[in-house]
Amino acid sequence: MEDSKVVSTSEHLLEVKDLTTRFDIEGGQVYAVNGVSYTLDEGEALGVVGESGCGKSVHALSIMRLIPIPPGRIEKGEVSFKGRDLLKLSDDEMRQIRGKDISMIFQDPMTSWNPVLTIGFQIMEALQLHMGMDKVAAHARAIELLELVGVPEPSLRVDDYPHQFSGGMRQRAMIALALACNPSVLIADEPTTALDVTIQAQIVDLVKRLQQKLGMAVIWITHDLGVVAGLADRVNVMYAGRIVETGPITEIYKNPRHPYTVGLLGSLPSIGERTGERLFSIPGEPPDLIGLPKGCAFAPRCNYRTERCWNETPELEEVSPGHYAACWEKDKVRKMQ
Amino acid sequence: MVNYIIRRLLMVPLLLFGVTVLIFLMLQFLSPVERSALYVRDIPKNERVLEGVIRKYGLDKPMYVQYWNWLVGIKDQSTGKIEGGILRGDFGYSRTASQPVVDMIKHRFPATIELALLAVVPVLFGGVFLGVLGAVNHNKFIDHFVRIFAIVGWSFPDFVFGLLLLMIFYATLGWFPPGRVSDWANQVIQSGQFHSYTHMITLDALLNLRFDIFWDALRHLILPVITLAYLWWALTLRVTRSSMLETLRQDYITTARSKGLAEKVVIMRHALPNGLMPVVTLAGGTIVGLLSGVVIVETVYNYPGVGSAAANAAVSLDVITVLAFVLLNGFILVMMNLLVDILYAYIDPRVRLD
Ligand SMILES: Nc1ncnc2c1ncn2[C@@H]1O[C@H](COP(=O)(O)OP(=O)(O)O)[C@@H](O)[C@H]1O
Ligand SMILES: [Mg+2]
Repeated sequence: MEDSKVVSTSEHLLEVKDLTTRFDIEGGQVYAVNGVSYTLDEGEALGVVGESGCGKSVHALSIMRLIPIPPGRIEKGEVSFKGRDLLKLSDDEMRQIRGKDISMIFQDPMTSWNPVLTIGFQIMEALQLHMGMDKVAAHARAIELLELVGVPEPSLRVDDYPHQFSGGMRQRAMIALALACNPSVLIADEPTTALDVTIQAQIVDLVKRLQQKLGMAVIWITHDLGVVAGLADRVNVMYAGRIVETGPITEIYKNPRHPYTVGLLGSLPSIGERTGERLFSIPGEPPDLIGLPKGCAFAPRCNYRTERCWNETPELEEVSPGHYAACWEKDKVRKMQ
Repeated sequence: MVNYIIRRLLMVPLLLFGVTVLIFLMLQFLSPVERSALYVRDIPKNERVLEGVIRKYGLDKPMYVQYWNWLVGIKDQSTGKIEGGILRGDFGYSRTASQPVVDMIKHRFPATIELALLAVVPVLFGGVFLGVLGAVNHNKFIDHFVRIFAIVGWSFPDFVFGLLLLMIFYATLGWFPPGRVSDWANQVIQSGQFHSYTHMITLDALLNLRFDIFWDALRHLILPVITLAYLWWALTLRVTRSSMLETLRQDYITTARSKGLAEKVVIMRHALPNGLMPVVTLAGGTIVGLLSGVVIVETVYNYPGVGSAAANAAVSLDVITVLAFVLLNGFILVMMNLLVDILYAYIDPRVRLD
């Protein structure tokens, strides 16, 4: 093939390589995503976990090329999707991918719908754009989609405006919108954070069910390791724009090797006392991305830190098959009992 | 929607009642003698006759009686004719215009409407267009350019700006004259051949196919229109720009983009209806503001509309005329509010359906 956009013959569905996104703001440059690399296979469910502000959303928006430019800028890296580097596509080509091959649901279902257009219209927009449907077909399909995600009386509700839907229903409808064109990747950016606990569980179940039924790959972003437990096959733990640990979900739970992951796990209350808005109990503040230390960004909050941590940034290294951690002291790190 | 409009319509009489009460209370600052101008042409000098007038029109009666009379007029016992009564369209006699106020307004209002309409077009369309353009090209060259214009417009008082334009384009360059039309054109208009359908000269000239008169009237209108429009144009531009910037930051705009919609569609279909809501509110205020602005602009350019008549009346303490102008403004304000509310409901389902 002569297409210069073909970057690899990787058998992965999505391969992110050294993705680096920077914001130029007053007071300096912020590397919100700093050399992130990972792969995603067809039908796989990947969790992306980290405290708020560590670059999870920016990483997702970079893949979608929805970063506001300026102040943002994807400085370097590669996002190869089915063999094509999304970062090299023209705007038009990228638009054909968005909502069609890769779609996204967002954190706040209250603000993610346009208040002046009906739910149905906003779903139909995607169908008419990517599936070549006419109005009538798109309307009928929108009703089916709402039914699929469990909106009651979909043929009546389809012409409702967003403010006539409850928060949980809006998020269900958002999933319907995201799945409208049978994407191969669904990126869910904290889709349950703004919802009540009981509704959170329903949404997680719904996505899980739909994933089994439709077979798309899912990138589930959350600040709550507990949420991805029953959902993801693998987890990327992010801190200050980097992946600091990655591996199969069971490995991460049983055998965490980065002190930050240990902290995230330690802050999980045991089943039964889960509440909606728990805060992490890792001591110290999430890092200010402007004044990062020269070495490991987690060093200021770390119990295991040594002199070396202040000066040298650790890279991801394999600790067991498929399980990587970026920590100088990873051999000493153990889960808290 | 229908319910909503009916509820809004029911508000109108209430608001108008408030406006009339307010203006009536202002009338009470006048002596009964001065108030007699509501009913008679010449205020009599003779004290005995004067007392007769005051008694006849109940100007010494309790206020609510006077208010009622002011609204519906007073029946002359001998002739059976009703005199006064603003609901009948009788606002009294304008001392400064030497004619009944209502005749003065009828006579001069088309000129003012013509001026205001010509100003509304650049304000709304120019302001909105450039505001959107600035927001969409945030912090690029065009945005800075547009902003500088807006800031200048925002910081110049009407009359300074008007006098400045007059000095440059009339006194120095001699391009645009003051007044409404040139003498020759006026002669044509007064002659039998010219049909005054609307009394707006630009429009009438087009309807009469007299393009020379159209051009002449336009030349007279350009400076007043610019002076009148500039402030509101700048304000509309500012409000549009900042509201659109705010709207473009909303989550649903990201949702729209994440669907793969073209940027043009994102802006026109998703951002504009939301971003223009504050502009709709402002537009109602703009129309009222333009009608107040004409007082200064018409005076500066010696333009024969209701504004210059109101200014004239104010200078001569012709309160009856001034208050009629205020009443007219109040009426337009109430109607504009109604229009804005209805437009809002049309755009925003949250208003319409609640
Ligand atoms: N529009 C923006 N302008 C400037 N900085 C931004 C912008 N969006 C994100 N950032 C920076 O990127 C960092 C990561 O943000 P984000 O990816 O939203 O975090 P989260 O992990 O909570 O999703 C933030 O701490 C902020 O400093
Ligand atoms: Mg986020």
